[in-house]
Amino acid sequence: MAFLEVNNIKKSFGRTEVLKNISFSLEKGEVLAIIGSSGSGKTTLLRCINFLEAPQKGIISVGGEVLFDGDDPSKKKEKEIRKNRLHFGMVFQQFNLFPQYTVFENLILAPQLMAKEQIKANGEYMEAKTYKEAQEKIRAEADRLLKKVGLTEKKDSYPCDLSGGQQQRVAIARALALNPDVLCFDEPTSALDPELTGEVLNVIKGLKSTDSTMIVVTHEIGFARDVADKIIFMDNGVIEEEGTPQEVIENPKSRRTREFLSRFNQFGD
Amino acid sequence: MEQFWNVTLQLLEGFTQNCALFGVTLLAALPLGLIISFGSMSRFIPLKAVCRTFVWIIRGTPLLLQLFVVYYIPPMMTNGSFRFGDRMSAAMIAFIINYAAYFSEIYRGGIESIPKGQYEAGYVLGMTKSQIFFKVVLLQVIKRIIPPMSNEIITLVKDTSLARIILVEEILKFADDFRVQGLIWPVFYTGVFFLLFCGALTLLFRFIERKLDYYKG
Repeated sequence: MAFLEVNNIKKSFGRTEVLKNISFSLEKGEVLAIIGSSGSGKTTLLRCINFLEAPQKGIISVGGEVLFDGDDPSKKKEKEIRKNRLHFGMVFQQFNLFPQYTVFENLILAPQLMAKEQIKANGEYMEAKTYKEAQEKIRAEADRLLKKVGLTEKKDSYPCDLSGGQQQRVAIARALALNPDVLCFDEPTSALDPELTGEVLNVIKGLKSTDSTMIVVTHEIGFARDVADKIIFMDNGVIEEEGTPQEVIENPKSRRTREFLSRFNQFGD
Repeated sequence: MEQFWNVTLQLLEGFTQNCALFGVTLLAALPLGLIISFGSMSRFIPLKAVCRTFVWIIRGTPLLLQLFVVYYIPPMMTNGSFRFGDRMSAAMIAFIINYAAYFSEIYRGGIESIPKGQYEAGYVLGMTKSQIFFKVVLLQVIKRIIPPMSNEIITLVKDTSLARIILVEEILKFADDFRVQGLIWPVFYTGVFFLLFCGALTLLFRFIERKLDYYKG
């Protein structure tokens, strides 16, 4: 069984079927790129994986643990959904940083809330020292992540004072702060000026390692080819083609994939 | 000159009533308005309908009429066995209800103007709904609603003089008593009290706005 298993996901909005039986799997440490034209269902798929949308049908499991089963009639409690979400991290197209917090505060907010909640749930009156240690650990981790995305010197800036590329790098660090099993990117460079996409793509490339599993929805075909281990081309709610970058981008079998890619090649990408 | 000080002291005494009405209304209507705004945004249709109807009725009728209703209807309905202890309490109830309705709409506008992405960012970071509201959304809402809120709160200062319609002893009631005795200028003099109070509020709101100016968005 693969690390991430997505089976037969179906999602409709009203009468519009957006995802028709999507299945794929991903091994730990693999990078999956999802490409396809607008409206093909890429973003909805990513949102279903992050439990921002509930599919009507299908199964999602990580590391053998079933996190979502469309046939399970019991309604999941908010608490359970929250716990499941923590397996995944998400970087949005529009960054969605919290504007009233500094870069550093954006990173530590969720881990701090989580730590506080844990203390409460355990019913322990944590000693001041232990509490301090937990706080220090969160802060040290935030510092490490900011260094990783190259924004240590922007630590105390507010999001409004950063460029789009910098904001997106903060968003990546923020998603990493909770140490998710699978990090998802929803068109992370689509809202950026062309000259800023490079810095964000380089950061994502830099995250690639043996134990970070990533799913990137992107229009950057060159990036997908260089970084992904696996590419899915989606069209009209189905997986039209999937395989290695060589298979999908260099030698596409499906006519729809060829048509889609030829539009990019026209501009020499 | 002695007359001037006499009148000033009398009007000041009346104005403390206006201030009390203002303060109590603000303290109670601000949280109550927030609760009503949640109701009118609820996905539970009956609750939403009740809240929206309430807002429609309150905003659709004059505050003056609402003062009469709160003061006269309870004793009429209970054959005189229940009435608000004093005129001031009745005025406070009417003002709180009225202003909570207006505030609720300002809150609703502010809350609904926050991009969905802020909530989603909170969700994917494993935050609860209430954590998202209090830690992420609320300050942004406050920043956005300060201008319309200050408008409404300044209106409240002047509206307090409407309480004289049920004979609350507020500043204009005192001034009018002078007028009846043949002394007209105290009526115009009351304007100074309102101007000073509203001026102070304007400065306060400007200060808060500047305090929240450290970020954009």
